[in-house]
Amino acid sequence: MSGVHDIGGSPSGPIDRSQHEVEDWERLADAINGALGGKGLQTTDQHRRAIESLPDYKDLGYYERWTAATEKLLVEKGILTQAEIDEKAGELERRWSGS
Amino acid sequence: MTAFTRGDRVRVRPAGKPGHVRTPDYLKGRSGWISSVLGHFPNPEDLAYGLSGIPARTLYRVGFRQPDIWTGYEGPAGDRLYADVYEHWLEPEGER
Repeated sequence: MSGVHDIGGSPSGPIDRSQHEVEDWERLADAINGALGGKGLQTTDQHRRAIESLPDYKDLGYYERWTAATEKLLVEKGILTQAEIDEKAGELERRWSGS
Repeated sequence: MTAFTRGDRVRVRPAGKPGHVRTPDYLKGRSGWISSVLGHFPNPEDLAYGLSGIPARTLYRVGFRQPDIWTGYEGPAGDRLYADVYEHWLEPEGER
């Protein structure tokens, strides 16, 4: 019954130790998290719980989990609606693709 | 007043608990000892759902012998592992 993240001590394959530069969107994800915490809209405990309950946890990278969990919490708390988030994401996607 | 004091033998409750838990699966059902009493804190397993976390729970540092945790542990027999465990995850060793 342990969570998807609770794998300490489990058998594992080789560990990928390669590094990569932190990307701008990852810094932004970190900053947004800090801002939401500073405004009292999100706590680390809540964020961790949301991360652990992502259905696609294993397919996501570290900051992908962060952003997906933040999205989930904001919707859960009624601060943003899923429709608002999807609309904004679509708008940004269109802008970046130049269409 | 705490349920346990330094040196007490304890066992981590083996039961699963749905949702957010702060006790790693590999420690469940394992026996160790109270290494120190760390203080009282709002329960993070409730805070995770936006609840108050009150009453505060006592947090302990619990020591374990590594060979007691891992089947076929190959390191030195004297190796120890220390983990922070909340009181509601602990029971006196022997109790069931």
